[in-house]
Amino acid sequence: MLFWILVAILTAAVAAVLVLPLMRAAVPLPSPHSHDIEVYRDQLDELARDREAGLIGGEEAELARAEIARRLLAASAADATAGQSAPKRLLSSRHAQAFIFLCLPAIGVGLYLMTGSPGVPAQPLAARLASPGDDINILIANAENRLALNPGDGAGWDLLAPIYMRSGRVDDAVDAYDRAIRLMGPTPARLGGYAEALVVQSGGLVTAEAQSALEKALALDSDDPRSEFYLALGLRQEGKRAEALAAFRKLAGKSPADATWMPFVNRHIAELGGPPPDAAGAAPGNPTSKDIAAADEMGAGDRQAMIRGMVESLSSRLKEDPANFEGWTRLIRSYVVLDQRDKAEEALREGLKAFPATGDEGKQLLALGRELGIDASGEEK
Amino acid sequence: MIIELGHYALVLALATAIIQAWLPIAGVTRGDRALMELASSAAVVCFLLVAFSFAVLTFAYVTSDFSVRNVWENSHSLKPLIYKMTGVWGNHEGSMLLWLLILVFFSALVSLFGRSLPETLKATVLAVQAWIAGAFALFILLTSNPFARLIPAPGEGKDLNPVLQDIGLSIHPPLLYLGYVGFSVCFSFAVAALIEGRIDAAWARWVRPWTLAAWTCLTAGIAMGSYWAYYELGWGGWWFWDPVENASFMPWLAGTALLHSALVMEKREALKIWTVLLAILTFSLSLLGTFLVRSGVLTSVHAFATDPTRGVFILAILVIFIGGAFSLFALRASHLKAGGIFAPISREGALVLNNLILTTATATVLTGTLYPLLLEALTGDKISVGAPFFNMTFGLLMLPLIAVVPFGPLLAWKRGDLAGAAQRLFAAAAIGLVVAATCYYAANGGPVLAPLGIGLGAYLILGALTDLVLRSGLGKVAGGVAWRRLTGLPRSAFGTALAHIGLGITLIGIVTVTAFQTEVVAEMKPGAMIDVGRYSLRFDGMRQGRGPNYTEERGHFTVSRGGVAVTEIWSSKRLYPARRMPTTEAGIRTFGLSQLYVSLGDQMAGGGIVVRIWWKPLILCIWGGALVMMAGGIVSLSDRRLRVGAPSRARKAVLATGAAE
Repeated sequence: MLFWILVAILTAAVAAVLVLPLMRAAVPLPSPHSHDIEVYRDQLDELARDREAGLIGGEEAELARAEIARRLLAASAADATAGQSAPKRLLSSRHAQAFIFLCLPAIGVGLYLMTGSPGVPAQPLAARLASPGDDINILIANAENRLALNPGDGAGWDLLAPIYMRSGRVDDAVDAYDRAIRLMGPTPARLGGYAEALVVQSGGLVTAEAQSALEKALALDSDDPRSEFYLALGLRQEGKRAEALAAFRKLAGKSPADATWMPFVNRHIAELGGPPPDAAGAAPGNPTSKDIAAADEMGAGDRQAMIRGMVESLSSRLKEDPANFEGWTRLIRSYVVLDQRDKAEEALREGLKAFPATGDEGKQLLALGRELGIDASGEEK
Repeated sequence: MIIELGHYALVLALATAIIQAWLPIAGVTRGDRALMELASSAAVVCFLLVAFSFAVLTFAYVTSDFSVRNVWENSHSLKPLIYKMTGVWGNHEGSMLLWLLILVFFSALVSLFGRSLPETLKATVLAVQAWIAGAFALFILLTSNPFARLIPAPGEGKDLNPVLQDIGLSIHPPLLYLGYVGFSVCFSFAVAALIEGRIDAAWARWVRPWTLAAWTCLTAGIAMGSYWAYYELGWGGWWFWDPVENASFMPWLAGTALLHSALVMEKREALKIWTVLLAILTFSLSLLGTFLVRSGVLTSVHAFATDPTRGVFILAILVIFIGGAFSLFALRASHLKAGGIFAPISREGALVLNNLILTTATATVLTGTLYPLLLEALTGDKISVGAPFFNMTFGLLMLPLIAVVPFGPLLAWKRGDLAGAAQRLFAAAAIGLVVAATCYYAANGGPVLAPLGIGLGAYLILGALTDLVLRSGLGKVAGGVAWRRLTGLPRSAFGTALAHIGLGITLIGIVTVTAFQTEVVAEMKPGAMIDVGRYSLRFDGMRQGRGPNYTEERGHFTVSRGGVAVTEIWSSKRLYPARRMPTTEAGIRTFGLSQLYVSLGDQMAGGGIVVRIWWKPLILCIWGGALVMMAGGIVSLSDRRLRVGAPSRARKAVLATGAAE
């Protein structure tokens, strides 16, 4: 409320200042040449002063005077012929005032409502740090400040890493897990978290680095379900379907039926062609926050079904309107994450039809294909 | 709330600019004084609103308010206060706001100091200023809003590009913008003259101070930018013919031409139409520079494509203002009365030659800058037009210009005596040649052109001094009289001399550095010695250091000459963790006007490090000369006399005295 009062005061003040000159009565304008005549007279005075001060020689002064006098005469003659025009008030002062009073609030408030965020308070960092409340970003920042002073505090990094993961700062999560492992030593939880962060960082692909971390985690604790899950996923991404199916089955056999990761595991088993071991296990459960991060990028369970739906609709939209570069890159990435490499290749080929490989976008599509390990020539890799 | 008020003030400034753009014009066409007077108060109001808005953005930066997206993207809570403040314009949105602030600042100055202007001219000028201000305010609000919010606010900012975390950022952009935008006033005066269809007697006198002020700031801004690039980028170069540099150099060349033609117009009422055209051209080049740097066309064509709204918007502003002004010129130029005739050999003639060469040089730089961009846009081929092109074309154009510079002030107005002037410059030219010869001997087989270039620089300096000496009559009249005459000379005469001397100093610096610098690249281990120029450097080893928002590795060097330790140099490599960006901080030590420049490269296996060391003789002359040019501008600006150039009578008068001022 106070904000709008201030806005009103500011607008009114500006309007008042602008309207003020309009209140005066109309005065006739001097002729355009009268100003020139004044200037030439000033120049003559200046010349006389310079002559007296000895700044200019007698002959130059004389020549300059003659020159100015010629201009003065010409201006005076022009002035005499120009008729004095009476002041006109075609646009009456009232119209001008109305224009100002209308224009200021209309443009001011209109454009502000379009671009501004009324009601959002200023949030200086010092005030936020003093009373963080449940401001997760500030809690993280506080922890970061402490760690900046004492970067050897492994427990701090250990605590911060999963929080980074949850707030989507994947690069920082990778870094924090890495530091925690180096400072506090490897545990299955840290290694698994590190691998998970790496997987999300690389857009859902289980990279060699992630794989080695997962294997280390399993060496420490052969029953770590997260590590088993991602290793199985890695197998599937490599195209080793039978081994992946076996690994997922093994994980499912070891896990309690109501484990949070079971829906994801069952979905993979189903997709790889095996029957679900237990129908009850397939009931959709709410994934915990730990799983959300994985689901975000990898797609599993309901989430995967939803992603599939989205991908299909994106694909059909692109068929209708292929001139959407962002769309093609998203579609190709999605197919790779969903492990539908043939479809990804087809999408790449379609995309290249819309954006020829000679252009900038086409080159980027090809680069994306290389990065993801798919090619447009249509042969299985 | 304060943030949103700042945002609202900016919107209100746009609304005020719209009013200022139209009502005064209506007043001029209808002869209504009240509406014309409105322009003055509107200009001041507009400035106050934008200044408030700018202050609010600065406040957001200083308090690290990361709920403002622009602050989050370009600041960090640990950044030193000075960089928090300069960071305001260290990004696209903030720098556009600074651009607007300076534009309305100039409008307010015209409104406050333009009391002696004819009312119609003043109202039209302010209205034209308001068109520009309105266009840019709209651009900022619609495509580059610095007040966009980010909810929930992040806990820490992404930090400013480390290369920009330097004192140079607090000086270079504001000065450059003062120069760029200062030419808007000349533009507005030109457009106003075209709209009115007549040029007032004192038009050039009003335009000249603005030209001078803008030119002075632009000179300082470019020199500062060059020095900044020199010490911050760690490549040891001071000018790269980079498109961004050219973007600022083109308005400078055109502005220099404008400065000289405005001089002719002021004193002799000649070259009127040409001056108007130059005023339009100069600001058009400023706008083009803003477009090239701000639209993202330069960094890559792709960046332009990802955010097309910005580029297209500025392009539209460019087309409307430049196209509009030139169309207006085509339509109305014939209405302006040309005046003042002069013989080819005269001061006017010399200044016309100056203008011809400067505009040709501008065209050359423009071609070299735009051609690769056009080619890439049309065919996709990437070519780079680099230093060789510019050195050949631009350098060749500058040679005759420099040769005639000293003639200008020595020739009389209207009709001059070339032989007389040449005679009087004989001493300067002779000494210049002697200097060249001396340099040739000293260098002993060095580049042949270099001594000539240095000689040319000496000739420029001495030529400018010759003018002062002749005017005071030193050697012909008693010392006391000569001194009185010298001190009685108009300050603009000293301004001219200073600016020309500055050009000579810069030229000497450029030639010396280009021809005589030594560069050594070596892998050094602690304890290693290396000879550079007359000095030898010992690498003592690396040390870890830590700043407020970076960590650094510093290499220590002991400099000795003839076996005696003279001084030490620290050169470092920094890492800014927030952006994970490394920078190099070159170690620079000054000896007189020369510098020793040490830059660290990669760490090698086995404890060695790659070191690049330059000995740069007389390099400070390059920027020192620019400072002297600036001083010339300021001295000339302080000369507020009304001036008329008195012509001299055909033969005799030239010999009488040179004080034909």
